[in-house]
Amino acid sequence: MAQETITREQEREREYRNVGKPVQRPDGAGKVTGETVYADDIQLPRMLHAKMLGSPYAHARITAIDTVAARQHPGVEAVITAADLPDYKLNASNRRGIIFPQDEVLFHGQPVAAVLASDPHVAEEALGLINVSYEALAPVVDPIEAMKEDSPLVRSALHDVDRSEERGHVTVDVAEKEQSDKPSNIASDMNFKRGDIEAGFAEADCIIEGTWRSGMVHQSYIEPHSTIADYEASGELTVWTSTQAPFYIRDELAQTLGIPENRIRVIATEVGGGFGGKIYLTELLVAALAMVVRRPVKYIMSRREDMLAATPAPFAQVEMKTGMKRDGTLTAVQAKLVYDSGAFPGAPMLPGCLLAGGYYKCDNLDIKGYEVLTNKVSVGALRAPGAHNATFAIESHMDMMAKQLGLDPLEVRLKNAVEEGDPLPSGQPYPRIGLKECLEAIGNSEVWKRRADSARSLDTSGRAGQDASRRRGIALAAGGWMGGLQPASAICVLNSDGTVNVTVGSADITGTNTSFQQIAAEVLNVPLDMVSVTTGDTKTAPYAGMSAGSKTTYTVGRAVKLAAEDMRRQMLEIAARRFEAKPEDLEVADGVIRLNGAEEKNLTFARLGKLSTNFAAPLPAILGSGAITARKMAPGFTVQAADVEVDTETGEVTVLGFALAQDCGFAINPMSVEGQMQGGASQGIGIALSEEMLYDSEGRLLNANLLDYRLPTTRDLPPIEAIIVEVPSEEGPYGARIVGEPSIVAGLAAVGNAVAEATGARVYEGPITPERVLRALGKI
Amino acid sequence: MTKQLITLNVNGERHEVAIEPHWTLLETVRNHLRLTGSKEGCGTGDCGACSMLVDGRLLTSCLMLGAQADGCQITTVEGLTQNGTLHLVQQAFIEKGGVQCGFCTPGMIMAAKNLLDSNPTPGIDDIREGLAGNLCRCTGYAKIYDSVLAAAEMMKARAER
Repeated sequence: MAQETITREQEREREYRNVGKPVQRPDGAGKVTGETVYADDIQLPRMLHAKMLGSPYAHARITAIDTVAARQHPGVEAVITAADLPDYKLNASNRRGIIFPQDEVLFHGQPVAAVLASDPHVAEEALGLINVSYEALAPVVDPIEAMKEDSPLVRSALHDVDRSEERGHVTVDVAEKEQSDKPSNIASDMNFKRGDIEAGFAEADCIIEGTWRSGMVHQSYIEPHSTIADYEASGELTVWTSTQAPFYIRDELAQTLGIPENRIRVIATEVGGGFGGKIYLTELLVAALAMVVRRPVKYIMSRREDMLAATPAPFAQVEMKTGMKRDGTLTAVQAKLVYDSGAFPGAPMLPGCLLAGGYYKCDNLDIKGYEVLTNKVSVGALRAPGAHNATFAIESHMDMMAKQLGLDPLEVRLKNAVEEGDPLPSGQPYPRIGLKECLEAIGNSEVWKRRADSARSLDTSGRAGQDASRRRGIALAAGGWMGGLQPASAICVLNSDGTVNVTVGSADITGTNTSFQQIAAEVLNVPLDMVSVTTGDTKTAPYAGMSAGSKTTYTVGRAVKLAAEDMRRQMLEIAARRFEAKPEDLEVADGVIRLNGAEEKNLTFARLGKLSTNFAAPLPAILGSGAITARKMAPGFTVQAADVEVDTETGEVTVLGFALAQDCGFAINPMSVEGQMQGGASQGIGIALSEEMLYDSEGRLLNANLLDYRLPTTRDLPPIEAIIVEVPSEEGPYGARIVGEPSIVAGLAAVGNAVAEATGARVYEGPITPERVLRALGKI
Repeated sequence: MTKQLITLNVNGERHEVAIEPHWTLLETVRNHLRLTGSKEGCGTGDCGACSMLVDGRLLTSCLMLGAQADGCQITTVEGLTQNGTLHLVQQAFIEKGGVQCGFCTPGMIMAAKNLLDSNPTPGIDDIREGLAGNLCRCTGYAKIYDSVLAAAEMMKARAER
């Protein structure tokens, strides 16, 4: 690994001075010392703390709320229910469009009232004094049951649901389906078809069928949702919030509260982990509370509230049937994917359907998707939303078909892997992609090489010195993600001392500002420390899309590159005029512009800075700008190999090694790319082995804490081997493509395949807990 | 509620604080001494983001009452930096990419320091054991292991000088 990085660095040394090299994050110092300010670290004068009362029922009608005792509790400043809220545009089809439910409660933990006090403990105490009368309604908990015609309804008036938001997430053209007028819990459905599925099965030599289930999981950022809002007398609304999407929040608040966008300032505070879960959730609620009390209001979700009432990732069931010829050609993929959306639409059914048939060339597809409502918390994005669920199915099938046909699992994938020009299930062709290159790269990983070694020594049944009840298996799975697309912009200004400030509007959740620093410094051919990058707020920064969909470096990075190029061009033009030369005869290095062949003719950035900023300076201030729109995807593929040991007595699975190869196009900062890959892979391993939100038959969450909802710890994770693959994208800066999300996609499938390799038994449901392993082994 | 006067020795400074009996050590330090480096990620002792050294022992300060720490010597992440110079563990986390979102970092660094104080030459298994009480969701721990190994090397090199 280290060897590889050095080789790549040596190559880059000749080509680039700043990009393509591992760079320490400038924000590191603030984070290791505790200086960095997160939302909960902010204390404003006169600020009140909000605490929420959540519904104990998954489905109920509120018949009355008595707040008298709570209001009289000493220290309580306000008790706010649906009746006390300012006017806002209610949108019943969107969770964020309902601050407090007016009558019908749709999931366990849904907030129904708030208490505000200077002392958070006082607010908490007063919650117990609010008396809500509920009429309990039948909860619908199981999405498969919920699809049945005779199922009770999750919520009333489902046919009124506005689907505009979902459509906003659809990045490919999909024929609009007519929705039945009959009320149903199926919020939406879709179908991708290609070729003749029955003909595909007819020509197959091997057909595998399976039903694959993957549990509801939580993003589990260590910093819970944290928001402060202040509505000033001037009518300006300021929101400090831990979010990936400041401009999106501004736009939503403006629409919902009827405030012009230019009077809302959303400040994206440092995000203590987001992973798709911190887009937009508590901001409207806290803003509305601040508008009522006309004081700053802070709301920090407790861990329990965050587990109960944020936006976790859905349970999904995938019924799949696939066919393959003896030579390894994939002939048919048929699938029915059901995503449990919770109480509101918005489940990632579309990406799941795209990926189920999107990794391999296959002439015959029939992929159906269903998004089903239940009385559970509504779901949101988690790093490549919907992808791991679909990948679990197709990647298990690939291994099972290969095994049945006596083929090598890596070779079978290489034979069928999609390439540039191959169609997605939607028909849209892939741009340049690197799935094949990732398959080749994983073959060189330490983990995969161990597999070859262990096959030779016939030692797949346990490590030396271990008893025979421990079985070892090494297997792989592929995965991919399309990524999001949104416009972006950046500005680049020259300071009077010749240093450069870059301002962007994207929240830096992954070290993207460090990559922007590298990009701007590369364009200007200066040392890194001459460039500083800041994320502005929605009133000071140029627009950027949300930091989600892995697109920040791909889109905002392009805008930064253009802004730096714009600034460079302006500076060269000024210098050319002064030297009476052409800009193309000038060179720029280390903050000095020189005329080729005339050393005495030079102009430093510092001199230019002064000439454009001093009193009565002759030049206008130098400001470069860059703005782009992104229309072309840059999908990222990964192949992951898991080395596991299964204790067949206890069912416990231990990860001994894990490797992933991922195509990132061009690693602008290899250190942070590796960090993204290892972090995403660790989340994939959590999904594979321990993470699952467990609901009882009444729809109550049973494990709303980090002891019973088990994240991987250091004891669970060996060092993850990250292999960067670089197949340049067409439009990304220096060829960079999406990075953040693909790494989570294949962990469940890879671990499942490794467990099957170790034991010969398949576990069809993730997480692959000891209980499920023992069931698969027929021991319980 | 009746407040109680306690004495906390935090990072070498003595503070007298009037606290309510139900305040945790974490909220006392964060909200009343305004040392906000230590973080609350769960409030139930599961994540380790609030880790502090209390009389030399690594503790999750969200599970300790302020009153229990009366008279104790407490080190928080703010106490590791001496005269503006980072502790080698802090330096190593920056250099090796052990920092991503930063929210677990203060607690993780306290746990790493605690480990290195008792075992200056840990192997990977020692590190995996020593940091097991601290959750990180961003890194997959790989670069945290690298950071602790590097810190051990740096501390050894400094000791030999």
